[in-house]
Amino acid sequence: VGVLTFAMEGAHPHDIASILDGEGICIRAGHHCAQPLHARLGVQSSARASFGPYTTEAEVRALAAAVLRVREIFG
Amino acid sequence: MATMNELYQGIIIEHDRSPRNFRTLDAPTHSGEGRNPLCGDEMSLQLVVDAEGIITDVGFQGRGCAVSKASSSMMTVAIKGKTVAEATELFEQFHALLTGKDADRSALGKLVAFEGLGAYPMRVKCATMGWHVLKESLDHK
Repeated sequence: VGVLTFAMEGAHPHDIASILDGEGICIRAGHHCAQPLHARLGVQSSARASFGPYTTEAEVRALAAAVLRVREIFG
Repeated sequence: MATMNELYQGIIIEHDRSPRNFRTLDAPTHSGEGRNPLCGDEMSLQLVVDAEGIITDVGFQGRGCAVSKASSSMMTVAIKGKTVAEATELFEQFHALLTGKDADRSALGKLVAFEGLGAYPMRVKCATMGWHVLKESLDHK
């Protein structure tokens, strides 16, 4: 399945999503209609990137670079 | 109009890292709680309002995104020492700022840092969460 759910120390998923949005990348953030799973995993919320057959390697690299940008902002 | 990444600079990140009045009060006269189930954010607010209707102390606790935490922190700084009526009016102005209406920018002071959020309706809720809890606290005691 082409989804990658992730969390980052010190950065809230909605902040991650907004910063990635500023870089032209759309992800989902929050509970993803799976609140019981988040409760079970003990996390407040998560960020989620999806990949499709049309996703290019350049787009994946752009995501990786944007995630590093989030890391820079939140230290 | 600030871009989203410009929002994540300066005062908002600074208040997220070092929130002001991030504590529990011993003897609050008013308190309230808010949560946003869509993102899992939670926030509680406590106030001390004296006989003249002046907010003499305020503290908040909770967890949330940088926008909600920074906004709540800056709200506590902005309302401390103001009357309940002044704080309520400030919320009106803040709400106007975020929804693209005419706002009293000089009254808002540093709170204008959130202006760029107006382009992101999903995030306006983050910035107003603390203010909604404030209003509810004052209304219900």
